[in-house]
Amino acid sequence: MTVKHWFPLALGVVVALLIPAVTHDNYVIQLLNIAILNAIVVLGLNFATGWVGQINFGQAAFYGLGAYTTGIAAKAGLPWITTPFLSVVIVMAASLVLGLPTLRLRTYYLAMTTIGFGEIVRLIIVHWEPVTGGTSGLRAIPGIGVFGIGPQGQVQHYYLLIAVLAIAALVAARIRQSSLGRAMIATKDSEIAAEQSGVDTTRTKLIAFMIGAVYAGLAGCLYASSIRFISPDSFSGTQAILLMTMLIVGGMGSIPGCIIGAVGLTILPEALRFLGQWYLVLYGLGVIAVIVLAPGGLASLASRLPRWAGAR
Amino acid sequence: MTDQAIITARGVTRRFGGLVALDDVDLDVPKGIVQAIIGPNGSGKTTLLNALSGASHADAGSIRIDGKEIFRLRPNRIARLGLARTFQNIRVFSNLTVLENVKVAAACNTPMSMLNIMLSNGTQRQREAEIESTSREALEIVSLAARADDRPTQLPYAQQRLLEIARALASKPKVLLLDEPAAGMNMTESMTLLDTIAKLKGKGITILLVEHNVRLVMGISDRVAVLDFGKKIAEGAPSAVQQNPLVIEAYLGRRHRHA
Amino acid sequence: MGQLVVNGLALGSIYALVALGLLLIFNTVQIVNFAQGQLLMLGAFIGISGAVTHELPMALAWASTMLAMALIGIVFMVLVYFPLRGRPPFLVILTTIAMGIVLENIALIIWGPLPVSLPSPVRGPPLRFAGVVISMHQLFIFCTLAVILLLQYLMLTKTRFGILMQATAQDLHTARLVGIPVNRTIAVAFAFGAILSGIAGLLVAPIFLAEPTMGGSLGLKGFVVSVIGGFGNLPGAVIGGLFLGLIETFGARYISSNFRDAYAFIVMIAVLVAWPRGLFGEKSSEKV
Repeated sequence: MTVKHWFPLALGVVVALLIPAVTHDNYVIQLLNIAILNAIVVLGLNFATGWVGQINFGQAAFYGLGAYTTGIAAKAGLPWITTPFLSVVIVMAASLVLGLPTLRLRTYYLAMTTIGFGEIVRLIIVHWEPVTGGTSGLRAIPGIGVFGIGPQGQVQHYYLLIAVLAIAALVAARIRQSSLGRAMIATKDSEIAAEQSGVDTTRTKLIAFMIGAVYAGLAGCLYASSIRFISPDSFSGTQAILLMTMLIVGGMGSIPGCIIGAVGLTILPEALRFLGQWYLVLYGLGVIAVIVLAPGGLASLASRLPRWAGAR
Repeated sequence: MTDQAIITARGVTRRFGGLVALDDVDLDVPKGIVQAIIGPNGSGKTTLLNALSGASHADAGSIRIDGKEIFRLRPNRIARLGLARTFQNIRVFSNLTVLENVKVAAACNTPMSMLNIMLSNGTQRQREAEIESTSREALEIVSLAARADDRPTQLPYAQQRLLEIARALASKPKVLLLDEPAAGMNMTESMTLLDTIAKLKGKGITILLVEHNVRLVMGISDRVAVLDFGKKIAEGAPSAVQQNPLVIEAYLGRRHRHA
Repeated sequence: MGQLVVNGLALGSIYALVALGLLLIFNTVQIVNFAQGQLLMLGAFIGISGAVTHELPMALAWASTMLAMALIGIVFMVLVYFPLRGRPPFLVILTTIAMGIVLENIALIIWGPLPVSLPSPVRGPPLRFAGVVISMHQLFIFCTLAVILLLQYLMLTKTRFGILMQATAQDLHTARLVGIPVNRTIAVAFAFGAILSGIAGLLVAPIFLAEPTMGGSLGLKGFVVSVIGGFGNLPGAVIGGLFLGLIETFGARYISSNFRDAYAFIVMIAVLVAWPRGLFGEKSSEKV
């Protein structure tokens, strides 16, 4: 780790920790909480999409499966501590069922099967009304608490979620530095060369997909028990596309990029609310502009910056 | 003979539609030698290599590496059984550093556990340290140690080929398949390559070399097999093969047709 | 039962039209346009603007819609395809999706969120036999599909354009070297692709009403059809479309109408698990 690496990291942590001291607006903090949860989901998406290069529009559905598992279990009276485990088991099972037969498919087909999976999950949530609450969702979900101890108020939740995000990023960084992370990127760069170097590419794809689903499932669990209200809209196909654009705009394959993209694109619509419908028009055009002009996302622009400065 | 052979292939056949790319090819490669496979364009050299390495399976036949049947195994299994290869069209991992490229293969027989990775504990650190030292050794052999932290795409073409060799070496193979390793190299670079191949032979690695440039392989090879239209038409010591009328006919005949 | 078949085939014909539009673009430039549904939606609204708002005669409204769609197709190509030529399919998918978002929200700004109806271009009492009712509009849909299928078949196989298109698809670089007007060929493919989805929009609006968000699900059905039929396969697209229409209609009647939109995906995933390259195979193949 050089100064170049740890300085932005330390700066980010300090800013993140100081935000609640600057603003006491609960609305702002709640928005940030959702942004942090999205960042965890996008970090998860990065495994399969950013590193292995597999398109995945099912991430929002895993997010939703995690949230609904927790919501339903907590409302049924199960202690909170069981819910992360339940959510993880459900999303692992679902990602295995979806991933095993489909990960060998080519890009277009994989895009379609993951979109289809998301739609099927959404339809089940919408129509299984007695359990899921249908389109009106689940309200008053019990909060986070272990033996009666849990975060109170938005600010405490904020710090808890920041801690979880930090762990999620750390685990992602460790995976990247391990043989597993290198196998993922090797699979993306050349599947056949990876295979001939002893990498089981099928297994690598599946593991990346499942780790990503677990990230989404855990974020979903925390979403349900910290926001305490869930509805199908938060986990729809549109959300899957938003998550994908967060990854692209932030920078595929870059851990800070995932966080920047997720936080930025969660806050931006609120900041640009005055644009009304035009916001989404500009959003779409903005995504196209990033893909065309900066395929590495904002993270790649940031890394180019010092070079420009140095050139002068 | 058979008990010393590290590669034993029998009746390897590969069809593409109506075209028979490999026709009932037998091959025995004794341990520790440099074996070349030559032949005119389209004679089935690369197809044979792909069948051996599992990249594109043969339709029929039997292939044993060090006594183990590998016919139709997935390439990653074959790699872990001790057969590594390079590619005619360079296939480096462009999003990894030079060192990481080699590490991918160096990790091929190291067990991997999610829990160890997440905790980054002693076991994990030790495994990574071993992978790193194996990889650096491999880079040392091809004289690329100084470029370890660069991206492979920053290397000149010939060095990318050497990187592929280092990557193949890092998996500690018994057999190394080199697919046209000298393609696109100039005279000096080819000489370095030949030195490297000699060095590897000295380490006891069996080398199977597919080459288009016949003159290049004659000096380094212990045995040469000649393919033409998917059939093995000759095999033996380089000097003997060079005199073989069938071989001369295959090469000259083709050249006349081209002219 | 017979009635369900007729309704299913009518719905399936529309899916087939969406798939035929996708196919035209795919066969030329090997990209799948994930905004095809939004093009369909634009077609429906432009038709409504002409026929309802400006009270143009139906034929004129249709003609102006097709003209507008051709232009939109070319603009689409310039904005989405040209900047991404040769980039990984993954990025092309995202760009077309982003373009879909743009088109949908432009439509919301122009036409508002409320559903609007478009009258059918044909009038008259429905045909009845053996208890089965076929409305004039359904009959019109069948005829349109048949005519378009015939025209597209002739165009692809018998005309100079079809040959140029195939050459472009096979090898863009070589096609350019031998003097094929590659860009013009691609522009024509995009224009016709957009026109086909525009026609699908004009046909669907009298049945389901038009609203700016209608494109998403119809576009996806077009892909499901392409997947079932094999991307780039002409008969596959039609058979796949009709098949999907029947599945949905029967599924909604006999299983559950709540999951109407799920049947398409279930069938598609099942097909892909069994035949990873689609039921009728794919025209293009990749090198190992």
